[in-house]
Amino acid sequence: MELIDKLSILADAAKYDASCASSGAPKRSSEGKSGLGSTDGMGICHSYTPDGRCVSLLKVLLTNFCLYDCQYCVNRRSSDVPRARFTPEEVVTLTLDFYRRNCVSGLFLSSGIIRSADYTMEQLVRVARLLREEHEFRGYIHLKTIPEADPALIEEAGRYADRLSVNIELPTDASLQTLAPEKQLGSIKQAMQTIFTGEQTVLNEPRASRFAPAGQSTQMIVGADDTDDSTILHGAQALYGNFKLRRVYYSAFSPIPNSPKSVPLAAPPLMREHRLYQADFLLRSYGYTAGELFKGPGHLALDIDPKLAWALANREVFPLDLNRAAASLIARIPGIGLRTTERLVALRRERRIRYEDLARMRCVLAKAKPFVITSDYHPLQAEVTSQLLYQQLRDRPQPQQMGLWG
Amino acid sequence: MIHLDCDDLFDNWRQQARWLLSHEVDPSRVSWASDHVADLFASDDAPPANPGPFQARIPRTLLDTLERAARYRGDQRWSLLYEVLWRVSHGDRTAMLAGDRLGSELTRRIKQVQREAHHLHAFVRFVAVQQEEGPEYVAWHEPAHDILHSASEHFVGRMGRHRWLIATPRDGVYYDGEQLIYQRQCPTEWQTLAKNVEDPHGAMWLTYYSHIFNPARLNPKVMQGHLPARFWKNLPEGVLIPGLISQARTGKQQDGQASSIKGRAGKRIALTENERDSPP
Repeated sequence: MELIDKLSILADAAKYDASCASSGAPKRSSEGKSGLGSTDGMGICHSYTPDGRCVSLLKVLLTNFCLYDCQYCVNRRSSDVPRARFTPEEVVTLTLDFYRRNCVSGLFLSSGIIRSADYTMEQLVRVARLLREEHEFRGYIHLKTIPEADPALIEEAGRYADRLSVNIELPTDASLQTLAPEKQLGSIKQAMQTIFTGEQTVLNEPRASRFAPAGQSTQMIVGADDTDDSTILHGAQALYGNFKLRRVYYSAFSPIPNSPKSVPLAAPPLMREHRLYQADFLLRSYGYTAGELFKGPGHLALDIDPKLAWALANREVFPLDLNRAAASLIARIPGIGLRTTERLVALRRERRIRYEDLARMRCVLAKAKPFVITSDYHPLQAEVTSQLLYQQLRDRPQPQQMGLWG
Repeated sequence: MIHLDCDDLFDNWRQQARWLLSHEVDPSRVSWASDHVADLFASDDAPPANPGPFQARIPRTLLDTLERAARYRGDQRWSLLYEVLWRVSHGDRTAMLAGDRLGSELTRRIKQVQREAHHLHAFVRFVAVQQEEGPEYVAWHEPAHDILHSASEHFVGRMGRHRWLIATPRDGVYYDGEQLIYQRQCPTEWQTLAKNVEDPHGAMWLTYYSHIFNPARLNPKVMQGHLPARFWKNLPEGVLIPGLISQARTGKQQDGQASSIKGRAGKRIALTENERDSPP
């Protein structure tokens, strides 16, 4: 099979992995050196596909032959898809070619399970080793980790890769048993622990060789089972806490050709995925806890963002005086982000904050208005009930054209 | 009214601004030519010939901030900077902050400039040139602001000892494997080379781009926000975009598989006795 045919099959097979980030790597440069590539911590999106997603890395599978039968996966062994397999050298050639063209900032390599977990992992590591050692490649490498592989192989992967990831796949053990019978939550978490330990070992040793300096991430498929958002985000919070994950990616289940009966035929609304990312961001960067976002089981609202939802449910905190309130509380005002919070704090060291400052900083005024006090503004809406505010502020869906055939 | 031209060079402007400030010339009395178009309503007063008595004290970071904002191409490119400088040197530091009328415009310009530098890092596409001497890789790029010189440093770290060239309609830069050569007026031969280079091996990238796209998640609005249409014409994948969008729309796409994969014969994998008994 021609290389270009393999590429079309193995890129098509890899598109269901949401992550394509190239950020978080240490500073490396090839200035005046042989070899190729640099990283500086900031990721670069070299292109965007019409689904709005960033193309930062060459994201391919080494092979889409797979012994597993995960029901949500297009590459499961019972799936009727064309199959292909790259040699490690072919992946290296493609990576370097795309890199020199400035089309990508590195490689994200994953694979179906062939022969055994160890064999598959060895192949992935081999690609990374060829790139780093034979070609002195200093760009970004993200390797998918096969959970059941020998920890020694995972450790080797960590020495070549900037990022490692083990997919948690589904939010609960029960769903995993039903939809991905060959996978076990135990071995997934064990692999995460191996990576976490690897990171910790080199943490305080400046002379130690680096270990996955851009950390580890995971992906969870949303909407292939009936798990609610509360369970998902409590799960994510535990992963951030236990294994210091950099990111949990939520991938709305994308229906696959010849879909088995065990998974839905339609995708969940993409808005659900979006709300999960918003809530996840609140956990990682704003200091919210999952318990604050959910009063019990259930989903995030689709028609208001989770920060606004929290504010409406906690009106006793508001309105907040921007000239006095702690920065961490200002960041909880709907329509005011982390960046604006910093700017407000810088500005109020120089002078009193006025209402028009908010407009200049491009806050979402409609959302912020009922929740703020400035030196010249006190919200009339402070007395309005949350129910009424909700009616005013919720997103109204665009009217949709009905499908011709229902 | 004092009318000045700094030839769109920060160092020239800085010299002019320093003199104006030393005479405490109010910002409303100065204007700078933009793109060498003279101000219609300007009546010329001569700029001061000698430095004046006013000793301006400005924070060290301001100069750096102004230099970055100066890369912005647009109306009031230089006079805004002078107004900021004027206010800060007269004790009003809010002029540098985003909450202020001027400061907010200053911040916006810096953001635009940063974004444009990032666009260079992201959307430059190098094509290999088959020749013994000169650049091994060339690219044609059309930045909206004057970021080429400062932002192309990035490729020195990235490309190692390779020789590369980026040509634009205005300026150009060439790295000869050892040093970066910047030309304010891009030599015509650089422009010709970068615009006419043949790319016999371009199909791989186009194939990848088409297949990593998930048509079931079509969202052209988000894509355009990140990848403004003005860049499409210089990106090899740009020509594919309209086709991929309309295909995804008309195909009533229910799943993520590309149509060219759908048509091909598939292969189910049977487990051997052994694999059935002891999973990998």
